[in-house]
Amino acid sequence: MKSTKFTELTQEQIDRKWWEIGDFFRRNSLWMLMYCTGCCAIELPPAMTSAYDMERLGMGPMATPRQADVLLVTGYLSLKTLRRLIYTYEQMSEPKYIVGFGSCTINGGIYHDSHVVINRLDRYVPVDVYVAGCMPNTEAVMNGFVDLMDLIKSKKADGWKRYHDNYDWYKKNQEEALGEVRIKDEFHE
Amino acid sequence: MNSMNNIEHVQSLMKDICSPIKENIIDQFQIAYELKQDDIHKTLGYLKNAGWIQLSYLSAVDWPDTNEIEVVYILMNWKKPVHIQLRTRIDRENPVMPSIISIYEGAKYYEREAHEFFGVKFPGNPDYEKQLILEKWDDMPPMRKDFDPRQYSDAHFVGREYSHDFTELNNQPSKQAKRQQRKTRINSLDKGGK
Repeated sequence: MKSTKFTELTQEQIDRKWWEIGDFFRRNSLWMLMYCTGCCAIELPPAMTSAYDMERLGMGPMATPRQADVLLVTGYLSLKTLRRLIYTYEQMSEPKYIVGFGSCTINGGIYHDSHVVINRLDRYVPVDVYVAGCMPNTEAVMNGFVDLMDLIKSKKADGWKRYHDNYDWYKKNQEEALGEVRIKDEFHE
Repeated sequence: MNSMNNIEHVQSLMKDICSPIKENIIDQFQIAYELKQDDIHKTLGYLKNAGWIQLSYLSAVDWPDTNEIEVVYILMNWKKPVHIQLRTRIDRENPVMPSIISIYEGAKYYEREAHEFFGVKFPGNPDYEKQLILEKWDDMPPMRKDFDPRQYSDAHFVGREYSHDFTELNNQPSKQAKRQQRKTRINSLDKGGK
């Protein structure tokens, strides 16, 4: 007969169990915030509409950063858009994940020698999943989202923790490129 | 209605205003003039009164060979379907073009952009030196032909380092070398294969 006794769990273990339960629900209902500044954004309409129907994975668009789980960075970022991206990322509630689309977020892609476009996104914000390609086809995009879910399950999607731990390093890189992350231009004053 | 078509109408107008250096009829909807720098304001003011009320474009072109910068104005008329392009060449080392915001107010932002990308100065525009698009710029204007974007990018944005395995595939000669070979061959064909 099976013992009905169970060992007492420490508070830490209980928290971890709850976190795992939370992860289960999180990975099955990812809400995306789409930062569509680059051309890879054109891969999102087929992924979201009936052709590939992203909602069967439990993913849907979300209007505000505060309620979103995933930040999609679709393509190249100039210094101006990088500033806004960092703003958006820091507004999101934790846990938060970033998916980088296309070669531009990986190494600059075809804009590697541009005078305004940054080359590596993961120097400024932590990226959990890259979808390579210029541009990646829709299957690759869907595959990237499934990869993200697997990473959340295996607790490897820890970009937001890395952002906490290496905050000084990220901040240093951001300030190196942007001077000051604060948005300061005449149209916002 | 008179019997003149639109291009002839523009030509007769221009005859009254100034003597263009060059005239170029592109098609029945577009006509281009190259003017002396002093004639620009006079011509713009006159054409605005004649119906070309919208400045649709103002920019510059860099000509390093002749050491000149060409400032380009494109005007649009809502009544007559003809665009007029006015161009003028100014010195490249110290490019100064008096502002036209007294004629077309919207030129304010175009002039700021032209200053940012080509370094043309626009006295008369109170804030032509303010940054508009670029941020933290510390180099020569980026649309000048002798600006090297690759060098700037390498100096300012850290790229990703790859190990040797990724950049050299199976002992194949790199595509860059092939491209260079093709380029030198094409250039040599110009000179009769030498």
